[in-house]
Amino acid sequence: MADTSRTMIVWKRRLPGLIMTMPAVIVFTAMFLVPTVLGFVLSLTNWNGFSLNLTFIGFENYLRAFENPRSVDAAIFTTVFAVVTTVVCNLVGLALAVLIAGPGRANTVVRAVFFYPYIISALIIGFLWSAMLAPQGVFNSILANLGLPSIPFLTDPAFAQTSVIVTGIWAHYGFSMILYIAGLKSIPAEYYEAATVDGAGPWARFKNITVPLLAPIVTVNIVLGLVTALRVYDVVLALTAGGPAGSTETVVFQILKNSFDNGKLGYGAAQGVILLIVTAVLGIGVTLARRNAEKKVAD
Amino acid sequence: MPTTETISTALVEGPEELTLNTTAMRAVQRERRRARRSTPTSNSVGGLILKWTILCLVAVVMLTPLYILVISAFKPQADIIENPLGFSPGSFTFDYLWASITSEKFNVIQAYGITLLFVLLVNVFSIGLAAPAAYVIARGQSKWHLALLLVFVSGLFIPGQVTLIPVVFVLRMLGLIGTIPGFVLFETAGTLPVTIFLFVAYLRTVPRDIDEAAALDGAGKIRAFWLCIFPIMKPAVATVIVLHSIGVWNDFVNPQVILGPSSGIYTVTTGVYAAIGQFSTDYTTVFPTLLLTIAPAIIFFLVMQRYIIGGLAAGATKG
Repeated sequence: MADTSRTMIVWKRRLPGLIMTMPAVIVFTAMFLVPTVLGFVLSLTNWNGFSLNLTFIGFENYLRAFENPRSVDAAIFTTVFAVVTTVVCNLVGLALAVLIAGPGRANTVVRAVFFYPYIISALIIGFLWSAMLAPQGVFNSILANLGLPSIPFLTDPAFAQTSVIVTGIWAHYGFSMILYIAGLKSIPAEYYEAATVDGAGPWARFKNITVPLLAPIVTVNIVLGLVTALRVYDVVLALTAGGPAGSTETVVFQILKNSFDNGKLGYGAAQGVILLIVTAVLGIGVTLARRNAEKKVAD
Repeated sequence: MPTTETISTALVEGPEELTLNTTAMRAVQRERRRARRSTPTSNSVGGLILKWTILCLVAVVMLTPLYILVISAFKPQADIIENPLGFSPGSFTFDYLWASITSEKFNVIQAYGITLLFVLLVNVFSIGLAAPAAYVIARGQSKWHLALLLVFVSGLFIPGQVTLIPVVFVLRMLGLIGTIPGFVLFETAGTLPVTIFLFVAYLRTVPRDIDEAAALDGAGKIRAFWLCIFPIMKPAVATVIVLHSIGVWNDFVNPQVILGPSSGIYTVTTGVYAAIGQFSTDYTTVFPTLLLTIAPAIIFFLVMQRYIIGGLAAGATKG
């Protein structure tokens, strides 16, 4: 009797907390946690997307993902895309951030000009660049007007892959730059003053003050850059639709094509699980590896 | 040492308030500005010329596609191909833009409305669900609260496309596939990790005295939260609104898969895809349509620039 009334009191105290957390927990569980677990389950089946009956086929989908040349090529291109865009976005972003981190109206305007593609949908960016680079597009019209031969920006595999990568960089380096500017603003000016008094030149100051103190931002930029780039899809769909001859298909492109165009959702789910594992390993791996670089600063 | 955390804590309070909270700090900031202005890169004439040459070149690369997009939206096809960079007043016409606005293939006005509705719903649900939960998590001290936070934050590392296929299964079972509630539920769930993470981080900087003051008023815990605590969370809420508005407005895959062409519900992105995918060499349709879809984003960016850049930087460095 006393026991039940005590539990009653405890529950009454906990009730507001429960009411405040439960809606979020329920939505998140139903639409995120359950699907994540279900993704592993579906990857072991040959689900076609419509029936709710599942036949388990073991790890066949995974074997197929590793054996199918199409999906292997997609994985290779996605990796190249992720590494190249991340490296270039960081180098360009940092260089420009150093140039325009200071206050002033001109710097603010330039910052907005470099950054604006980031807030436009990647799909629209893809269509815009497709209009620029298509065989009858703007750039080839300009070349033709100048009496020059046309360039197969989107119709030759190597050119098309380069076009996708360049478009990715064009749209994304501004974001790296913005993060670097935020980082630069947080470095106390006294450090630079002290270094100048000690006779350090601009390059020495950049190398010995800016770079080490930006280490945490570098980590964030690399992790975010890689994780975002590994999911690249919209821009490819609009720019090349995966072509020519599948040369610009990415992992997510494969996942969605297999799942929704070919009705092999089990196979798509397996590729999704692989992507999830690669993303998690890379994200955690880079963060741990960078921890050393960040530690050096703290010492 | 500036760690990621200190930078982002400063950023959550708004881009202009970076580390300058007190008069003393403000003086330091002023000093710092003076110091930066006198760095060698900017006080030698040669350096200045080099700097602005580089910046102008990059600006040209960034703005050329936008310039071509805008002028081409008002030109006939032949003019677009023969004279892509130029602009002759003689061939200027609103016809193609008007044709795109009134196109039967893609009702752009309706798409604006639907996408705005989604932006609004996702923001309301995301904040409405996340804020009280984040408050309980931020104030709680038991291992359950920590576990709950970890569960939500783990969502930051799971790509949305990976949950998309299984979500189709779940929504099919619930009978919500191809419906607006189904889409809004999934989109909201996808935003919860970031929202809860940013809210918890912000609420931990809010002193507990306020809780006690609210409790003294005799208000219940839930009422006290919405009336006293939530209004204080304005900067974090603004950051979250910026992140979600851009995210939902630009999202293509989720509406395309969950709503699907058969539902007849088109957002700006899925509508453009349906309209342009088919005839992408008819530039008198492509450019006006793209202009119509880019314009709201650009205007929003120009008006809210400071908050967008600050919010994105805060969201990213926190996560």
